[in-house]
Amino acid sequence: MKRIRHYCLAAIIQGALLTVTSLVAHAEDATTDGFVTRKEYEELKAQMLAMKKELDALKKEGEAAQKQGSAENQALVQSHKEVAPPESSQGQTVADTHKQVATEAPPPVVEAEGSLLGTTKFLLAGWAEAMYEQRNGQVSTFSASLNPVFLWELTPKILFDGRLEIEPSGGGTNVNLVNAQISYLLNDYMALGVGEFFSPSNVFVERFEPQWINKLPDRPIGVYHGVLPNISVGAQVRGGFPIGPTRVDYALYVSNGPTLLTSDARTAGRLDFGSYTDNNDDKAVGGRVGFLPIPGVEVGYGFETSKPGFQGTTFADLRALLQSVDLEITRNSDLLKGRVNLFAQYAWSKVDHAVYDPDGSLGFGPLPLTAKRDGGYAEIAYRPTKLDIDFLRNLEMIFRWDHLSGDPSGLGDPSETRWTIGLDYWLSPSTVIKAAYEWDKPNGERNKNALLLQTAMGF
Amino acid sequence: MLRMLTRGLLAALLLLLISTSMNLFADPKENRKTASESSGATSSDSYMGLTGEELWSNNCLRCHNIRPPTMYGNAQWDVIVHHMRLRANITGQEQRAIVEFLKSSK
Repeated sequence: MKRIRHYCLAAIIQGALLTVTSLVAHAEDATTDGFVTRKEYEELKAQMLAMKKELDALKKEGEAAQKQGSAENQALVQSHKEVAPPESSQGQTVADTHKQVATEAPPPVVEAEGSLLGTTKFLLAGWAEAMYEQRNGQVSTFSASLNPVFLWELTPKILFDGRLEIEPSGGGTNVNLVNAQISYLLNDYMALGVGEFFSPSNVFVERFEPQWINKLPDRPIGVYHGVLPNISVGAQVRGGFPIGPTRVDYALYVSNGPTLLTSDARTAGRLDFGSYTDNNDDKAVGGRVGFLPIPGVEVGYGFETSKPGFQGTTFADLRALLQSVDLEITRNSDLLKGRVNLFAQYAWSKVDHAVYDPDGSLGFGPLPLTAKRDGGYAEIAYRPTKLDIDFLRNLEMIFRWDHLSGDPSGLGDPSETRWTIGLDYWLSPSTVIKAAYEWDKPNGERNKNALLLQTAMGF
Repeated sequence: MLRMLTRGLLAALLLLLISTSMNLFADPKENRKTASESSGATSSDSYMGLTGEELWSNNCLRCHNIRPPTMYGNAQWDVIVHHMRLRANITGQEQRAIVEFLKSSK
């Protein structure tokens, strides 16, 4: 009778949970973006806490019953042993059956989840996107990609994270390993990571690049494949710590570093960040320090210093310095009836003075220059999250300026400045439809204005 | 090189000035709520005067929309917040407070 009562109580609790879940689902449906009002939230929270107390009490009773049941089963097995001695094969089978029943008795619900999933925790996350691009002077095209992120927590201190980029290309499919890193938490304020990781100084790539997070369909040219590395292969320590009411975060790393391009007049003096194997014994050293004076606001400074020239060449001793500053602000404002995001980053790179193609054997030298590049972006977005109309609440307006001055030799691509406006509609917190128009006018060339449409889903 | 370094640091200081001035737009109640003002089961895990709920909102919303606690299971939240701790450089205390809030809100 006691067990029947437990089952009835469990059924009642589950029924109540289902009711609350349906209420939450209904609230989410109404807003279509997962937001509920503060009042609804507080009511649900109060109900949830009351049910949690009841559930805890029920669990305690269940555990007591389980202990009692185990003791009874043990006594039953023991009695079988006494009735049927071990040498009897039939008696042994029955005893084994009893043992099996005793050991396979359903454990409490709280234990079931842990035993089924094991001690490691794995999650397949990521995002998918589809895009249409119509750019002046180019053929319009559709594109798509799947970007699975593998997260594997081996223990509460050890985590693996890796990402693939899978996209159709030509007659086949491209599969790229974007990052693969093993991390170990040293303490509350420091973690060690080794492998292929997002360069900490490139805040856009590290935080905003996934297309369900990036508010515009394309990426800013200044920092994405521009002046800063996207990916580094090496080791890093990173973390954050409070200073009074403020917080500081940091990341320091050593990596293979970039490669200096020397064999073409158009690219001489540029740094190639896409070559992940090293070309000399000198390692790049870099990092970023961020300061959060108040919640939702961060200012950062990043750097990387390296010797990018090939070992054994006249460029081997040249030093390259990258620097960047960044700003991230997120504010919920009653005055503006919504949320404002401001993201900005600007970066500079400089390679020591050198003479490229000194003997003219490559056909463009001697070309003496101190290679400097710079670029960055500023983006402001506004979403009226505090309006009462669902449709308007799901809209987000974005404006971005981005720039790249990337021609140290004066013979390569001209500097480029773009202005982009965009409008997003959020179907869920991680599913978005984006439309944008981009004014793109490289110096001395015809415009590359573009219409961009994209949908992205994070999972 | 020194001139370039100086320029970078000056730019960082300028951004710092801009960021602090942006506080004028802030809604003080939402961003500076103390633990005693916040209701919920996570008050015992308050950190720097912020509850797990506030840490979750402040840290996650800086980069992307926040997903409802019901979207993932407890074990999944463990992995996600562990991952995001590394990405967003939050502390261990903040990580635990956020995970506890997410689990208690399901």
